[in-house]
Amino acid sequence: MKLRKSKTPKQSASHKKWTIGFLIAAVIIWVFYTYIMYNLPDGPQTIFQNWFPPTTINEAMVWVICALGLNIVVGYAGLLDLGFVAFWAIGGYTAGWFMSAFFRQVNIHLGSPSDAAKLPGIHVTFWGVLFIGGLICAFFGIIIGAPTLRLKSDYLALVTLGFGEIIPQVFTNGENIAGFNMSNGTKGISPVDNISVPGKILGPFDFSWKFAIFVLLTAIMVFVSLRLRKGRLGRAWLAIREDELAASMMGVPLMSTKLAAYAVGAFSGGVGGVAFATHVNGVFADRFNFSISIILLAMVVLGGMGNVWGVMVGALLVAWINSTGLPAFGDLVNNTFGTSINFPSYNFLLFGGVLILMMLFKREGMIPESRLKAILHEADDTTSNVGGAH
Amino acid sequence: MKKSFRVVSAIAAAAMVTTALVAGATASNAATVLTISSDLPLQGSSFDSNDSTNKAIQLYLKQIGNKVGKYAIKFKVYDNATAAKGGWDDAKCAANAQAHVANKSEVAVMGTYNSGCAKIIVPILNQAPGGAMTMVSDANTNPGLTKVWNPGEPDIYYPKGIRNYARVCTTDDIQGSAAAQFAKSIGIKSVYVLNDTQTYGQGVAQAFTTEAKKIGLNVLSSGSYGEGWDSKQSSYEALFTKIAALKPDMLYIGGIFDNNGGQLVKDKFKVLGDNTAVKMMAPDGFTGYPDFNKMPEADGAYLSFAGLSTELLLKNAPNGAGAKFVKAYKAAYGKDPIGSYPIYGVAAVQVILAAIAKSDGTRKGVTNAIFSGSGITIPANQSVLGKALVISTLSGDTLAKDITIEVVKGGEETTLRAWTVK
Repeated sequence: MKLRKSKTPKQSASHKKWTIGFLIAAVIIWVFYTYIMYNLPDGPQTIFQNWFPPTTINEAMVWVICALGLNIVVGYAGLLDLGFVAFWAIGGYTAGWFMSAFFRQVNIHLGSPSDAAKLPGIHVTFWGVLFIGGLICAFFGIIIGAPTLRLKSDYLALVTLGFGEIIPQVFTNGENIAGFNMSNGTKGISPVDNISVPGKILGPFDFSWKFAIFVLLTAIMVFVSLRLRKGRLGRAWLAIREDELAASMMGVPLMSTKLAAYAVGAFSGGVGGVAFATHVNGVFADRFNFSISIILLAMVVLGGMGNVWGVMVGALLVAWINSTGLPAFGDLVNNTFGTSINFPSYNFLLFGGVLILMMLFKREGMIPESRLKAILHEADDTTSNVGGAH
Repeated sequence: MKKSFRVVSAIAAAAMVTTALVAGATASNAATVLTISSDLPLQGSSFDSNDSTNKAIQLYLKQIGNKVGKYAIKFKVYDNATAAKGGWDDAKCAANAQAHVANKSEVAVMGTYNSGCAKIIVPILNQAPGGAMTMVSDANTNPGLTKVWNPGEPDIYYPKGIRNYARVCTTDDIQGSAAAQFAKSIGIKSVYVLNDTQTYGQGVAQAFTTEAKKIGLNVLSSGSYGEGWDSKQSSYEALFTKIAALKPDMLYIGGIFDNNGGQLVKDKFKVLGDNTAVKMMAPDGFTGYPDFNKMPEADGAYLSFAGLSTELLLKNAPNGAGAKFVKAYKAAYGKDPIGSYPIYGVAAVQVILAAIAKSDGTRKGVTNAIFSGSGITIPANQSVLGKALVISTLSGDTLAKDITIEVVKGGEETTLRAWTVK
């Protein structure tokens, strides 16, 4: 960072502010859910349980991890991806395969928690599975990336859309592949092993521990995103996003740069998938449908494409509305006015409406990336900080 | 001066609100109020039936004055479906399980509707700090939840090694067997079995296939649970053209109507003809859906129900507790309960309430009341099911093996006869 002092010092300062803010918020939430909430009197505690239950917070963190991965593909490299759910699914099934008694025909234990010691199947420690899941997804990211290298915009989106539909179908129908049960069909794989940390096995009620782990994973993803963005690869991504032809003329290797974006993004999706499997204690094929990809994309676009903090805020907000906010708001309205309106069913109407309004009035997202804002508003000087690769 | 006054009044208001909240909390602590809840999918096409179940439970609790023994009973409704999925949602099930445990006054859960959701919730309730919390289901028919079925089942759902799950309906293995025995009794020689590739559908199709082979029916489909139909397909004509060539007497559809059952039935009609040409039979995954019953293509279809249908309950014991309850329901809401699950929902609540009455008012106490000692028996004169309901202290299953055979006639499910598995 210090080597490039001339480069956007304002941005670095803002990243520092956001980093500190993120850490403080994480610590406050952690302290609150560990020590304060369960000691509150019933009234306020119920309010928190209804509006901000700890499961929702943890689920939202998983969404953040996946959205950050998608941000690399869509936000940084400008490659529209409508099938990101595939990576979430692959990550989830990696957890199912390597952290459960599903493959009863074998008996492999690698650092598994002690409560799984007697179970058959493959039991690898959560931390190892995070890497395996990430790597498998990165591999698939490259596979999906390779044929799409010659495609642009809508055509690329269609191929990713197909990929996002195919992978979940493979898991849904993967119960009998020449006699081999790969995915247990729609029955899914459950339960998966608990996460173990030194001296403790995290049961289903250790939210604050899981929250800390998810925050750690998010922090790593943010760090990786920011460092990559600053480096040679990140500048190459931006160059491709803004003008692919010009970038290639300037010597940006299109193939490896695009594949890297897919691989890094997919790795994050895989990590999110593994984390989600431990969150719901299983993996179920039904979950991985098109709407997940769309919601993830909405998180990135609403939050601010290319800006990790924007994407994080967008993901937290949308995930919360989706799982708790809207039903809780519905309950409040229905209980107050004695109505029986089914608020959650207006979910997509709301998202659609908000997206249209955002596109009309704030195209760059809630917390925009300064560069993108400059381009979208056609400010006079966009050349000052173009990080051309050479 | 003005500003400081505003600050002071703001602080005073905040203090008042806090006091009110705290006071409210202590007031509710003073009475022994226990909460029981229902956990059902309230979105998607099973809404009608499950909404009716909640209404039936509310009515029943009102009838008994919202109290049992020395405890006042509060009822809380949870929804385990999301609009985005249009049915039960795994993440929502997991979140609900946590919410049940976090809600301190909640002692037991009535639910779930889908066995898949139960498989997520039961292990979490099993590990609840301070003692396992019991769930009693009105509708989970997957055998694996309580019996040896798939590898590792049922023990994988009870990590603490104690049981905390009971149900008042019979299981798919019994329902599938009954359907096969019934098919033989009406002169069926050959069948083709389909399943919706889900836990429930495959379970019931497997039980049907096994029994059909055992009693000498010619099963034309291959595999232990027949052929799967993909719920995302827009047409099944190709599937039925293939089946038509085999000339089965009957088609058995193991699955849930939600999984594109409407299209499946339409295409069956188109290719194989109506339900007199090639008969059609489906399990209780097709019961309780007015949409299905009203389809002209459904006319004459046989259905099985894991228990006794409401109609049969009324016929068997016209002056019993069940019949009285159904009348009260109609008086209160202006129509009959939808399908037969609402009555089973009330039966599950009866089990929970009986356990609460026997307990010390804790979750552990309620669980122990069901799974230890003499267990729970609802005598015939009180049971809304019209006959004594006995819950096994070992498995949590009901000891009844009643199946109702129904036939769709004139847009409605009508009861044909009861079937007790041989």
